[in-house]
Amino acid sequence: MNTILLVEDDKNQLLLYKQELSLEGYNIITAQDGQEAVKKVKEHTPNLIVMDINMPKINGIEAMGKILSEHRKVPIIINTAYNSYKDNFMSWSADAYIIKSSDLTELKDKIKELLG
Amino acid sequence: MFKKVLVMILAGGQGERLYPLTKDRAKPAVPFGGIYRIIDFTLSNCINSGLRKICVLTQYKSYSLDRHLRIGWNIFNNELDEFIENIPPQKRISDMWYQGTADAVYQNIYVLESEHPEKVLILAGDHIYKMDYRELIEFHETNNADLTVPCIEVPIKEASRFGVMSIDNEQQIVEFNEKPASPKPIQSNPEMALVSMGIYLFNTQVLVKRVIEDTKRDTTHDFGKNIIPSMINKDRVFAFIFRDKNNKAVKYWRDIGTIDAYWEANMDLVQVDPIFNLYDIDWPIRTYHEQLSPAKTVFSELFPGGRCGTVLDSLVSNGCIISGARIERSILSSNVRIDNYSEVFDSILMAGVRIGKNVKIRKAILDKSVIVPDGKHIGYNLDADAKQFVISEKGVVVAHKEMPLL
Repeated sequence: MNTILLVEDDKNQLLLYKQELSLEGYNIITAQDGQEAVKKVKEHTPNLIVMDINMPKINGIEAMGKILSEHRKVPIIINTAYNSYKDNFMSWSADAYIIKSSDLTELKDKIKELLG
Repeated sequence: MFKKVLVMILAGGQGERLYPLTKDRAKPAVPFGGIYRIIDFTLSNCINSGLRKICVLTQYKSYSLDRHLRIGWNIFNNELDEFIENIPPQKRISDMWYQGTADAVYQNIYVLESEHPEKVLILAGDHIYKMDYRELIEFHETNNADLTVPCIEVPIKEASRFGVMSIDNEQQIVEFNEKPASPKPIQSNPEMALVSMGIYLFNTQVLVKRVIEDTKRDTTHDFGKNIIPSMINKDRVFAFIFRDKNNKAVKYWRDIGTIDAYWEANMDLVQVDPIFNLYDIDWPIRTYHEQLSPAKTVFSELFPGGRCGTVLDSLVSNGCIISGARIERSILSSNVRIDNYSEVFDSILMAGVRIGKNVKIRKAILDKSVIVPDGKHIGYNLDADAKQFVISEKGVVVAHKEMPLL
């Protein structure tokens, strides 16, 4: 079973994502800020990461850099409410960039595609 | 146009083959030609080309280089949006040292993020040549290139040390192999190959994309080995044939890789008509040079057995005193003192070297502050010298910095 790390500081959204993606048959682990995400990756080596950007402590982009330096191949999907981070060079390290929506179809499709 | 170009100078190489000159300093900080450091040539090219946004990416043993940049190259005006930044590994992205040339750029993507230049010129801090980068930038723009790689023709038997390329009629690179065992010659001359000079002009967005892609692959994260070959037939990659600003018949570009290459490149400077011209007022090479008194020779006792301070075919820097000694075909950095009846031939003496009486030195490099006692012979019996010094393949004897001699 593939393990997905969900990184999201908003508890309600986190619960929603966790519930929906569990139904798809993934094992879900969670983190609520960038720092925790880096730690969780070390502990669990997930198969894929869904990363929010605007978060306390270290943001998603910085966390992504730290994660990729040790786990260069883990696919990362940026899942944010903002379009503006697309211009940030560091965000280009992600395999996909999705604008948050209550409809999770796009996110689910992308996960399926990346886990191939 | 040139304000939109950010220069990144890769100055982190260990320069192992230049040991012991790199025992205490990074290769770009190794002294050259009496008063210069190797990096001065690249930095002078930048200044002379109107490029004044420069990041120097340092890594190993960078103290000497940092100091030289701080006291010698602090000439940029921040108010005019000019700068030279010395950037050691920030470990912002990774806790590791730079894994390769491309990784050095990847780990500094945040610099590109804050500057957002249109183009990035990646240079090596350890090459000696004169190049007007404006011509390269114009060529790049005319061809609407994503990447332009300056190149030079070298004899085919030397080409295996370099990245060897094949180009089409439009100078687009169609094949690129880093350090190939059997290099491909150019069409018009089977004796020559077209090789990369290790300099890259990128459109920033393409650079960032390709460098990020590369970090996710199991590669050595090297521009020559990985990034450029991956871009051929995918991006617009062009070859720019090196136009030398040295105004000589022979194009001059040296990667001072070994002690022998270093010694030979220095010895070229003492020729009557050197291949590399340090005296070109249209392409000045600047450096940091301490305020010192003029070089001096003393004693002119022209009778047999008399003391004569004699300097022939040599470069002598400020602060030197040659007292009753004979110097031929040698390079003396600042503050070198040489005492009576000593002889120095075909040698490089770095700053602060002291040579006593009746010393004989031939084909040697004495690094900074080496003190040679009276009567010592160096370079006349290589078997004996080998017990004390490093000796190169071609027999250059090297004493490391502050080496105690008896």
